[in-house]
Amino acid sequence: MNAIEIVNLTKFYGKIGALNKMSLEVPEGTIYGLLGPNGSGKTTLIKALVGSLRPNAGQVKVLGLDPLKDKWKLRKQIGYMPQSPALYDDLSARNNIRFFGQGQNVPDLHQKVEEILSFAELTSRADDLVRTFSGGMKKRVSLCCALIHNPKIVFLDEPTAAVDPHLKMQSWILFRKLAQSGVTIFVSTHQMDEAMLCDKVTILRNGEILAVETPQNLLRRGKTTLKITINNEETRSVIDSTSKDLAEELKKYGLDKNVSSVELQSDNIEDIILSIVNEKEKEGLL
Amino acid sequence: MRQTFVIAQRVLVQLKGDRRFLALSLIGPLVIIYFLKLLFDTFPPMVDAKSLTIPICAFIVHFLSFILCAILLVQERTRGTLERMMIGGFSKTSIIGGYTLGYFGLATLQAASVLTETIWLFKLSYDTKTVVMLFMVIWLLAIVSVMLGIFISTFAKQEAHVLPFIPIIILPSVFLTGLIIKMDGLPVWAQVIGKCLPLHYAVNIIQEIIKPSYRVTDTLLDFGILTGYIFGLLFLASMTLKETE
Repeated sequence: MNAIEIVNLTKFYGKIGALNKMSLEVPEGTIYGLLGPNGSGKTTLIKALVGSLRPNAGQVKVLGLDPLKDKWKLRKQIGYMPQSPALYDDLSARNNIRFFGQGQNVPDLHQKVEEILSFAELTSRADDLVRTFSGGMKKRVSLCCALIHNPKIVFLDEPTAAVDPHLKMQSWILFRKLAQSGVTIFVSTHQMDEAMLCDKVTILRNGEILAVETPQNLLRRGKTTLKITINNEETRSVIDSTSKDLAEELKKYGLDKNVSSVELQSDNIEDIILSIVNEKEKEGLL
Repeated sequence: MRQTFVIAQRVLVQLKGDRRFLALSLIGPLVIIYFLKLLFDTFPPMVDAKSLTIPICAFIVHFLSFILCAILLVQERTRGTLERMMIGGFSKTSIIGGYTLGYFGLATLQAASVLTETIWLFKLSYDTKTVVMLFMVIWLLAIVSVMLGIFISTFAKQEAHVLPFIPIIILPSVFLTGLIIKMDGLPVWAQVIGKCLPLHYAVNIIQEIIKPSYRVTDTLLDFGILTGYIFGLLFLASMTLKETE
């Protein structure tokens, strides 16, 4: 079953199109990545999904509910972590989490707050004011606020932006744990390496979907450059990133004793995404 | 209703923790009243400055309550906590109700401290009943100001957007509501504007209360209108507080 279904979603800010007839399906229990540069429409899409933005056209269903018409039913089942921490700096981490838990009428709130503080490794700083926290720690508190009511789907808007690599890794381990427990994670990022950690990725640019792929398929779209040096002469050939194509290409050269080196240089995820963008630009779609 | 108390509790905890804000809202008015005393001391003895003191105190509370509440609610918007509260299950009415309830305490403290200092500093000799009535008016005006702040904050996307409302709403209150000069001498259109501003009714009540011949029935209508502002502004704020962009 799909956790999210979007059909022809369109949003304009004045004359500027933020989302252009976007259609998308997100299966339940997956980590679904939304990848794109700043201004590509990631935040606008998330806001439309959580019901804080009224689209100009199109239909949105989250857990089978309309985010605007069924807002009260839906808000009990979704968690939302905005791009900015959106916390009360003059409250402690514990009081921030408790406050948002009270908004959702969470049963056994006291115990739940302690559990989630421990889950996010914040127990030792739980009573410190949020204003004394680093950016990364604020993100963790913000995530706790989004998860306090055990939502079925969590919308995370650039949760690891400006977070150090260690904390970033910890956050992704946490997201995977949540997905394994059946929670759908809808996460936006502009960091291409994070796309590899998702189950499926949608690449956005200027409010348009450029590609919807699993990270593995995305990598297969890449090219590999085969660099063979024979008698100090270098030849280069570009092949598809599949072992079959590589084997075919190597066969051409055989196992010549004059082959002094064979180097393989594969496109990384950034190269692949840039090549998709370039392709679309050539096709005049952007 | 439970959510309203949750928000009110959070506002109170925040106020308790924010010493700068508390100082500004409680000590600020007291300092301004002291400056007023210094100014009035320079007036010749034939000028009856004492009758102006309580209305001016009411204005100071009105102005500060309005501006501080509006700015704090706009901060909720710019920080993203307002959006998060709404997506997190809090209703618009509980947010407005929670803020109002949270500021009830502050408004009470403000009204009590300002009135106490004014009576002491200006050596005003009112009986207990008059003091209690004066407190009631200033307290009611503070609540109206909080509601006005909440309402105006819905038109501001950032703190600076609140400032243009000072010349639009607050400054006309100084000149057109009978605070300094009687309204009778003003053109009719200016009187109409003055009567639209809540300070006018507070000033009317205060001027009646300090008269020795005062009876509560003389000011029932003005009290009613001032209370009506609270419900009117509560309604307007709940209509204009946006849940979606």
